[in-house]
Amino acid sequence: MKLELGFIQIKDIQFSNECAVKDGILYVNADDVKAFVYENDDVKAYIESIELDIAKPGESVRITPVKDVIEPRVKVEGPGGIFPGVVSKVDTVGSGKTHVLKGMAVVTAGKIVGFQEGIIDMTGTGAQYTPFSKTLNLVLVVKPVAGTKQHDYERAVRFAGLRAATFIGELGRNLVPDETKTYETYGVIEGYNKLPGLPRVGYLHMLQTQGLLHDTYVYGVDAKRIVATLLNPTETMDGAILSGNCVSACDKNTTYHHLNNPVVAELFEQHGKTINYVCNIITNENVYLADKQRGSDWAAKLTKLLDLDAVIVSEEGFGNPDADLIMNCVKNEKQGIKTVLITDEYAGQDGKSQSLADSDPLADAVVSGGNANMVIVLPPMDKVIGTLDFVDVIAGGHAGSLRPDGSIEAELQVITGATNEMGFNCMSAR
Amino acid sequence: MVKEIERVGIPVVHMCTITPISLTVGANRIIPTIAIPHPLGNPTLTKEDEYSLRYKLVDAAIKAFSVEVDKQTVFEV
Repeated sequence: MKLELGFIQIKDIQFSNECAVKDGILYVNADDVKAFVYENDDVKAYIESIELDIAKPGESVRITPVKDVIEPRVKVEGPGGIFPGVVSKVDTVGSGKTHVLKGMAVVTAGKIVGFQEGIIDMTGTGAQYTPFSKTLNLVLVVKPVAGTKQHDYERAVRFAGLRAATFIGELGRNLVPDETKTYETYGVIEGYNKLPGLPRVGYLHMLQTQGLLHDTYVYGVDAKRIVATLLNPTETMDGAILSGNCVSACDKNTTYHHLNNPVVAELFEQHGKTINYVCNIITNENVYLADKQRGSDWAAKLTKLLDLDAVIVSEEGFGNPDADLIMNCVKNEKQGIKTVLITDEYAGQDGKSQSLADSDPLADAVVSGGNANMVIVLPPMDKVIGTLDFVDVIAGGHAGSLRPDGSIEAELQVITGATNEMGFNCMSAR
Repeated sequence: MVKEIERVGIPVVHMCTITPISLTVGANRIIPTIAIPHPLGNPTLTKEDEYSLRYKLVDAAIKAFSVEVDKQTVFEV
């Protein structure tokens, strides 16, 4: 399957009375965005109001509680549309041509859904720990209708963010990209013949699916109801996988991460040179032991069926998913398939505790995204988009995290994307 | 916690859902439970059926104390 990505560099975002991208500047009419977002039953039913704001790199701005971060894209050639099964109709994506508005993101924020949403600071210490301090952010501050239940609110906010990103992405449809790049993987026999002798490498992509607001969706399917299956890597670039997570901010994969998966990017870099990148295998992280056993059994069955030589395994979240991670490692290693694991650590504030809940001697090649328990102090910001009401209660915060002067002392966990387990961030993986 | 309590001579039965983690941390008597969000219950059952499930699990845990083990043991319930 072959996909061409056309990157349109966004240099600035400004509110305007029209919606357009001209000379790299995104002009946004907030009312037009809201009108499109509201063409959805869940948004209509559960979202009382949406305010739009803009946060730029270097500004003294704090965005919290952050739910999701999404990159605007539009499919310009080939089957399907962005976010198939959710915003677009179900159709297999990942081929043809897609335009990407690069350098910006749509961020959803507002009253908390769960207790594990994050902080994005656009300057200062916090900015060093989140990749989204470097993007121009169009922020949707969402207010639920009074009495809305958590799961309804989560779904409505998720749809609001995806619809806003889809609307913005559409503005790039008829533009000429600044840069294009082509990605292609082959069928099993075709790849074997084209790339003889190169090690066959796959990506075992673990999706957070613990339920209770910890969910991921694949073509609109709640991923806790899937068994391990195959994906062409390019499908992820068209929004086949998206986040419905209110799990710890530092190591949840936002939709932006899924669209820009660095494991996929690096494997493509080496594809045809040092390796034969065969495909992605997605599996879940469920809360029943039988599901963990079944999921890792199936993943190992697929890697063997594909005659892979090695797999990279990325985790999402922490704690009991560490057991899934180790099962995925051990079952592959035991059948002679080399594994490299990407995870992060909860090693205590002093870094001296056991980093993962589970371990095995066969897990001898591990990349860490960093220690999520590390304590950081964030300076006060001049402006807050969203609300500081929940800083003390989000995962990584504690009573008194928010100090009277507006500064915050908390664990790194609170920062969106800080210890990302795809290796997206720069603490140690890149 | 399991290891520290056993270190002072008090036997422990660890009831947990993800038994591989329990094995990794070194529990000796392990009772597998239902699911991570509800280890000792099951909200899909009726109150009566859930009570008997809970009774069965706790009963198995108490009986596990009286079983001599010479290695880490997961008791099937």
